[in-house]
Amino acid sequence: MAAQPDPDLDTGQTAAFAVATPAAARRERILLAAAAIAVVLLVLVPLTSTDQAQSAGLPQLVDRYWFRVATTMAMFVVISAAWNLIGGLAGYPAFGNVVYFGIGAYAVAVLVTRYQWSFAAALGASVVVPAAFAGLIGVPLLRLRGHYFAVASLGVAVAVGEVINNLDYFGGASGIFMPIVRSDLLFYYLMLGAALLAVAITWVVLRTRFGYGLIAIREDEGAAAVIGVNTTLYKVAAYALSAALTGLAGGIYAQWNVFVNQDVAFNIDVSIDSILMALIGGIGTIWGPVIGAVVLEFLIQTFAGRGDLAVVTQIGLGLVLTVAVIFLPRGVVDFFGGRSSLTLAYVRRTLRASGV
Amino acid sequence: MTEPLLEVRGLTAGFDAGPVLFGVDLDVAAGELVALVGANGAGKSTLLGVLSGLVPSSGGSVRFDGRDITNAPPEAIVAAGLVHVPQGRRLFGGMTVEKNLLLGAHLRRDRDVRGDLQRVLSHFPALADKLGREARTLSGGEQQMVAIGRGLMGRPRLLMIDEPSLGLGPKVVERVIDVAAEISEDGIAVLLVEQDVAMALDAAARAYVLESGRIALSGPADEVERDPAVRRAYLGL
Amino acid sequence: MSAAEVLLSLRDVTRRFGGVAALDGVSFDVRTHEILGVIGPNGAGKTTLLNCISGVHRLDGGEITLDGRPLGGLPPHRVARLGVGRTFQIVKPFGSMTVRENAAVGALFGSSDARLPTRRAFAHADEVLALVGLAPKRQLPVASLTVPDRKRLEVARALCTMPRLLLLDEVMAGLNAVEVDEALDMVRAVHASGVTIVLIEHVMPVILGVCERVVVLHLGRHLAEGRPVDVLKDPRVVEAYLGEKYASRHRGD
Repeated sequence: MAAQPDPDLDTGQTAAFAVATPAAARRERILLAAAAIAVVLLVLVPLTSTDQAQSAGLPQLVDRYWFRVATTMAMFVVISAAWNLIGGLAGYPAFGNVVYFGIGAYAVAVLVTRYQWSFAAALGASVVVPAAFAGLIGVPLLRLRGHYFAVASLGVAVAVGEVINNLDYFGGASGIFMPIVRSDLLFYYLMLGAALLAVAITWVVLRTRFGYGLIAIREDEGAAAVIGVNTTLYKVAAYALSAALTGLAGGIYAQWNVFVNQDVAFNIDVSIDSILMALIGGIGTIWGPVIGAVVLEFLIQTFAGRGDLAVVTQIGLGLVLTVAVIFLPRGVVDFFGGRSSLTLAYVRRTLRASGV
Repeated sequence: MTEPLLEVRGLTAGFDAGPVLFGVDLDVAAGELVALVGANGAGKSTLLGVLSGLVPSSGGSVRFDGRDITNAPPEAIVAAGLVHVPQGRRLFGGMTVEKNLLLGAHLRRDRDVRGDLQRVLSHFPALADKLGREARTLSGGEQQMVAIGRGLMGRPRLLMIDEPSLGLGPKVVERVIDVAAEISEDGIAVLLVEQDVAMALDAAARAYVLESGRIALSGPADEVERDPAVRRAYLGL
Repeated sequence: MSAAEVLLSLRDVTRRFGGVAALDGVSFDVRTHEILGVIGPNGAGKTTLLNCISGVHRLDGGEITLDGRPLGGLPPHRVARLGVGRTFQIVKPFGSMTVRENAAVGALFGSSDARLPTRRAFAHADEVLALVGLAPKRQLPVASLTVPDRKRLEVARALCTMPRLLLLDEVMAGLNAVEVDEALDMVRAVHASGVTIVLIEHVMPVILGVCERVVVLHLGRHLAEGRPVDVLKDPRVVEAYLGEKYASRHRGD
């Protein structure tokens, strides 16, 4: 006789390795097929805006606004998926990951403008430098848990932002201007590529010993240690990996935006938004950050009114987010993964579990 | 025959995953020590949870001291005199022993609280010099004493104790069960849920055996102890 | 007793919390392939002892060696790598994984004999789950397991690390007589597979049923040691731990 499920044990995290029933496997195949089709479309459709396509008589399906929104969405997919590695898989909620966005952005800005590096080479640095930084401060920082870790990581972001703001080497408060590169298509493809890379990395991690180790750390770090997981190494590695991906997004952004300064590159809102995206989409899952980034960015773009309307729509957005976090703590992926359906019973259960 | 202090009829209850109790009947008379034994997952803790108002029932009735308390809120049940000492001690670890005990009386508005504290300490003299210590620094046996003492501070008519022997050595278990017997001699009824069946049946007047959510056997404790199925399943004989 | 027969050796092991010595100069040996019981009242230092062996606590004095190799100062994952597995008194399953995944994580990491690649780790997990009697439930999420089954899973996960020495912390707590019998069968099966076992318990039938020797701790010190049937009659042990009622009830045996 099965006992009732133990609410203390059901952490509410969607299992990364869902029970392998035939129905679930079929659903996963369908999802993968749909995703593949979406990716193909995302790659091909924007080509209709090129001059060649235009002169061949193809209809222009996307405009500059579309590129801007799509590139931003892709960027948040990267940042959110990167956060998911340390916050979702390992269970260490970093609130200051934007620091790596900023370090990556400034790495590109400095190397290109001061040292005449090519953008491509500088992008390599935008991956390596944040990762090295994360590896260094990760060792002491990841000794902290939960709220303490969250606040400390936020402190790091603020501190680094301030330091950069005050050093002339980094252009001080006026920031750095990059040489102008005008190409909606280039930056769109770069961000899209980074997004696909982030999702692919998450997918691989969840299939390997590394992923299992991270989830073990999240579920019970003491138990993970005594079964042989080198918890320090794994945590720092996840943190460095998330820093590398976030840095890449920052590096691409630096050239795309042409301008970097403290406000642009170390904006805490970016961290908050990316965490919300991972939460709403489905923390700890592969597709959660993707869905969350697309949905939330869509909402932000739609509801970001002007003037008086802006305040009203911001409040509306805030309400939507609050409701979503309270009533759907496991994120949207929980439904589409087939583990639950949006019924009253589900909402009651999650409300009870979250202690409301 | 007068109505028993606690009268449970046809009680059913369960969780999202499924029903756990299937029509339980149980009586406890005033001042009686009744044992409730059964396997893990049989539903003993669920039954206590329903009686104390922590778990909703889906059918049946619970009457206490002549009043219907089925699905009453937990505070009302405690105020009526039915107190639950949960499994695993569940003390407020960072608070002192004294605070833990006093918290047991927090629903009471009368002035006898200090007097009751002295009475509780007379049951547990070992706690007298530990009142100022943090509860989590006490040994398991001492913590169990504090948990029962906290229950007593609510001036219960019936005290339900869930598996007090868990994680305790034989000598300490003996002391704890002796305390349960002392309490019932004082006129407070005790419903004792226990894994240490031998000890529980020794001390109890009557006993119930719960199996898969149903009462499989009930009667005077010594009869239950002599039952061959009980001896095989629970006394390892 | 030759050196080759001793797997784990404790000499003058001391561990303090604040000013209080939870372990005070404890010394004893664990022989290869034996089942050793450790008993004593709460607060005697039993769990602290396991924590010191598995690297969760540092020693404040003394030395613990595994097969001659000192364990002092090693972090828990290194101790696990050397072949020490353990369970926790309050079980610590990985809540969002299935039973099978929980066990497999043990095989993915664990001792240097383990650390298997993913596919083999899952295959090994299946074997171990069969050994502990959880095979039919291996695809279930852990949240749906009963308490005795969670304890089995805790043992299975530790076993998957392929330990030489397995430390079991009150695996029998809360089990009734039938469940204890089933758990004893599991312990015997584990032992038969070649593992040395140290077993903390309050459930005396377990000590008598499966332990070859038993060590008694009291107030952080080594009180007595020997065959269970002798130790349980020792008047100091009766006084400190068993109580007269228990002793008189079992005197006839």
